[in-house]
Amino acid sequence: MSTAHTGGIDTGERRRSGDGRPVITDLIDEPTVQSIVEDAWVALVGEDEVLIPLAGEPIGDVVSAWVDVVGPWTGSVVLTTGRQTAAELTRALLAESSPELLEDEDVADAFGEIANVVGGNVKAALPGSSALSLPEVGEAPAVRNPEDVVRLDVLWRGQPLSISAQGALPPLPVPHPPPGGQSPHENGASL
Amino acid sequence: MRALVIDDSRAMRRIVSGILIGLGYEVRDAGHGREGLDVLDEGWIPDLVCVDWNMPVMDGLQFVSAVRSNPAWRSVTIMMVTSESEHTQIVRALAAGAHEYVIKPFTADAIHDKLALLGLLPQEVSL
Amino acid sequence: MTLPATSFDWVRALVHRESAIVLAPGKEYLVEARLLPMARQLGLADVGSLVEKVRSRPDPDSTRRIVEALTTNETSWFRDGDPFTTLTSTVLPSVLAARGPNERLQIWSAACSSGQEPYTIAMLLEDALPNAGQRVSITATDLSREMVERTRAGRFSQLEVNRGLPAPMLVRHFTRAGNEWEVAANLRRMITASECNLAAPLPRMGPFDVVYLRNVLIYFDLSTKQAILRRVRELMRPDGWLFLGAAETTLGVDDSWERVVLGRSSAYRPLKGA
Repeated sequence: MSTAHTGGIDTGERRRSGDGRPVITDLIDEPTVQSIVEDAWVALVGEDEVLIPLAGEPIGDVVSAWVDVVGPWTGSVVLTTGRQTAAELTRALLAESSPELLEDEDVADAFGEIANVVGGNVKAALPGSSALSLPEVGEAPAVRNPEDVVRLDVLWRGQPLSISAQGALPPLPVPHPPPGGQSPHENGASL
Repeated sequence: MRALVIDDSRAMRRIVSGILIGLGYEVRDAGHGREGLDVLDEGWIPDLVCVDWNMPVMDGLQFVSAVRSNPAWRSVTIMMVTSESEHTQIVRALAAGAHEYVIKPFTADAIHDKLALLGLLPQEVSL
Repeated sequence: MTLPATSFDWVRALVHRESAIVLAPGKEYLVEARLLPMARQLGLADVGSLVEKVRSRPDPDSTRRIVEALTTNETSWFRDGDPFTTLTSTVLPSVLAARGPNERLQIWSAACSSGQEPYTIAMLLEDALPNAGQRVSITATDLSREMVERTRAGRFSQLEVNRGLPAPMLVRHFTRAGNEWEVAANLRRMITASECNLAAPLPRMGPFDVVYLRNVLIYFDLSTKQAILRRVRELMRPDGWLFLGAAETTLGVDDSWERVVLGRSSAYRPLKGA
């Protein structure tokens, strides 16, 4: 991800130049994402479920669920948490209709549905019209451009959970050589 | 009264079905629009369909159009239950023939309120 | 600090008495989360202090706010249905027939909370009358400044618009603003929102053709109920209409009203000569 650091002084310029492709921070702010996630929690997980805006280190394996958004902005809305927490989330979501024994498929389905709900509302808060993919569960897509990310870290029942809207595209090359004459480069690849 | 719940997430099918069963509905479910049409083709005609938008095979909007193109199914009330929540999407769903629209996330109260508006609360239930 | 058991029990008993809603044991967390903003607003350290304050010196305004914070029902659009459907089917035609073509109709939503009631009325009138903006003005009042400001702003969360607002009305009268929905400007212009304490002498307003005074009287004792009904009547047209909450009535409280059955609910009209 060295590209993010090339010509650190011109980021503001670069963001609004080129072909005008927006990055997510131009379109939605963290409080909006937070209110979307909080609404989803209150309605789906439980009326008295609170999310505390603190980062934490997940214990053990992590799992992600995400949906892709394709439109004026293209990227993914990703939820990541520990496997245990995803299972606990599934039980909370299903409440009394939760089966005695949770299968992996139940957890993938429920966690994916939460990503769908959060992602659908993030999509709706973006300008213009976009399409939403079906949810996927597994290892999160890599962050392609650290400047094209809005990320929220919270604790739910003491366990860490992150929610991020992250662009699917690498940063645009700098359109003009920055003052000082250094040409932009991307890990040595020719442009 | 009968309700058909169509959603590709089985967690969501369980949640919506649970709410409707609690209100006194007889409920069947389906994992996508095509499966939902199969239920209607069997002759099991519901009073209410709760249908998601984004699903594999046949999405909710295609399902609404398919149901509305068959005059035999005119009595079916359709409520979209989906995380699609732009103004334009709600307009599209209503134009295709959905009666009501519930945005995910929702609470059980939201489903109850919408059914009250539609006159689809089974009579014996009072809150 | 966690909520003391005695405070929780007091809140449970209050909410059950006023709303018939049961807060199960273990819901202390919910009570804390819902009441913390109110405690902070009053400059109190925590919810325990708030409950102790209201317990030791009960006042209807605080108890009403506590009950409202803990009962989600009040946020519904078209709450209880009939007082709204009968507005356009019965009340409006009767009022229009009795007034001149240039007379402005005045409607009062007397405990407007976050605005669902006055905007429900505004949407119904906008859909029923070709020139609602010129023909009608709606006064929305609430005790709480926060609620008055929310009503003025006319912005509602996704969860709020999900509660009993018909989808065709949502798309006709609202636009999306980020993660919220904003009421159309023409409806906002129909409504004037201000603070008002019903238990004190009322400001000069009206005269009102229709008053919605719903789910407020239940919080007051008999003599205050009588005083409120008398003051409301003084601000109404002699042929006006009053809507109360489903569990409220003037019967046995103030005999200067006539009860009129409308649909499955009732309205009240000032008795002539009373």
